Amino acid sequence: MTSHADTRRAFRSHAQATPGGIPERPRRSLTHPARTGVLLVSPALVLVVLLVVVPLGFAVYISLTDWPLIGAYHFIGLRNYTHLGQDTVFTHSIIYTLVYTGIVTGPILVVGYLMALLVRSNRRGAGLLRTVFFLPYVIGLTTLSFFALVELQPGTGAVNWMLQTLGITNGQTAWLISVVPATGFICVLVVWGVSGLTMLLLLAGMQAIPADVYESAELDGASRVKQELLITVPLLRRTIALSLIISVIGSLLAFNQFFILTQGGPGTSTATVVLWIYEQAFTNLHLGEATTLSIVLVVVIGIISAVQFLALRRDEP
Amino acid sequence: MSVSVAPARAARPTERRRRRSRETILYLTAAVLGVIVFAVPLLWAVFRSFQPESLVTAYPTWKDFHQLTFANYSGIFGGSIDLWRYVANSLIVALGTALLVTAISTLAGYGLARFRFRGSNVVFAVILVTFMVPFQAVLTPLFLELGTVGLTDSRFGLILFYTTFNLPFGVFVMRNTFMSLPVELEDSARMDGAGTLRILALVLRPMFLPGAATTMLYAFLASWTDFLGALTFLTRTNLLTLPVGLYNLEAGNFGQLNYGYLMAGAVVSMIPCVVLFVALQRYYVRGLTSGALKG
Repeated sequence: MTSHADTRRAFRSHAQATPGGIPERPRRSLTHPARTGVLLVSPALVLVVLLVVVPLGFAVYISLTDWPLIGAYHFIGLRNYTHLGQDTVFTHSIIYTLVYTGIVTGPILVVGYLMALLVRSNRRGAGLLRTVFFLPYVIGLTTLSFFALVELQPGTGAVNWMLQTLGITNGQTAWLISVVPATGFICVLVVWGVSGLTMLLLLAGMQAIPADVYESAELDGASRVKQELLITVPLLRRTIALSLIISVIGSLLAFNQFFILTQGGPGTSTATVVLWIYEQAFTNLHLGEATTLSIVLVVVIGIISAVQFLALRRDEP
Repeated sequence: MSVSVAPARAARPTERRRRRSRETILYLTAAVLGVIVFAVPLLWAVFRSFQPESLVTAYPTWKDFHQLTFANYSGIFGGSIDLWRYVANSLIVALGTALLVTAISTLAGYGLARFRFRGSNVVFAVILVTFMVPFQAVLTPLFLELGTVGLTDSRFGLILFYTTFNLPFGVFVMRNTFMSLPVELEDSARMDGAGTLRILALVLRPMFLPGAATTMLYAFLASWTDFLGALTFLTRTNLLTLPVGLYNLEAGNFGQLNYGYLMAGAVVSMIPCVVLFVALQRYYVRGLTSGALKG
């Protein structure tokens, strides 16, 4: 779900970015009675209230307790919050997730941009190429991680085989049992898997740039590289900002690829924030602590979303 | 004779032509490289799923590449693993979600686009704020809440969960879709005495179908590929969806991990994504960009 949540997020931000494109208010009509409107939206509203709003409020409540999965719980006030710093795994998971996010964000943007450049033209095969570039994203990191797991086995996996054939390693690398190779490989996998989304977002932005902008630049003798840097990038800065935010939020919520490939190990050295929340809640049965971590996560993501919203608003031409 | 004059005029077109052919070469090189990097690993995975397990877990050599077998597929679909069950669960959950999201979003989108009532802006805002709440962050309270009402370890509970977190997108798409339709058609139908649902089903259906297709596609893919939600809310083996079933395979819950089986299972989970995306790409891209394109 994570990956498609990103696309939906992209969609929402797009919509925010261009409120001019959407009629501001529903049209008045005497034949559309208000009561019918309320009835029509009620199923959606009931679900959102019951499965999002109520759990959010409940989360705050749980975070003030020492909730075990089974048995009685006690109120412990803000102790879960004041003790956050003492959960060394949590602090490590924050640092680890930030480092991971820092590593993948730039390459995702660059690779996505290069892909968009390549498929932007109407040359033969551009459509096919676009499909090929986007397929890994549609398939999703869960399935890709299962493929990777098989191909990473020391001595037998295709990754090792390829690296050995190219003379880079001896083919015996046990990728997943130590932090640096595991993280490195997962970063490559993620950049490979999700850059397609950035490509599609940038492509939509690029196609909105009128062609005559480039024609005049070409007549002035500007090189292709110069045209990209001086025309495309500035005109796309909102789309670029948007795709950056989407990939950052996606990275901060990373779970599947880590859970499948390393289970957060060795030890908890590759545990991301969401992975540690999951472990605390459903393996260690510390629901109070886990929920407190969730609230921290909601707040952080909320701040990023709000900043994004305000920035795109202010930037409105 | 005119040698001294012609080059001055011809210089630009020649240079441009040269640049164009240079760009074509660059494009072709990059395209070939792109296909190798992005398509070959997927094709390789399919190829691997047809190799006998003994070769999947042996050092790859070219001379073994002709040995292909259906053994992995018959292994996961027959016998004790019975991957069909997980495929069926995934299909039930993903189709159920897709239908429910589309139905509820169509109603809500129509309601928000056409009907003015007190609080309609608040309703829209509440639904949109859901966009900003990552489902990963409410897993524990939701787990307890759904558990209390008996909806954990339930495909229906999982459908409700997926439906809710896909609703904001669906409502947005459908609201925009209805806003882009002319209101006159409905008005005359209403004058003729048709009720709201009748108008939706008979008069407006052909016009909102593209939006509904986009919503359905996104909801299906999101629930088909979800891992964390299903991992959290399902524990009974016979209810697991495909990704969690594959994880159990990896974790050795079906006995010693068989890499050939894992590869074949992952290929199975990949197929609907590829088929749906290739067939309905138009609707997918439209969903991604329609916010910018009005409807």
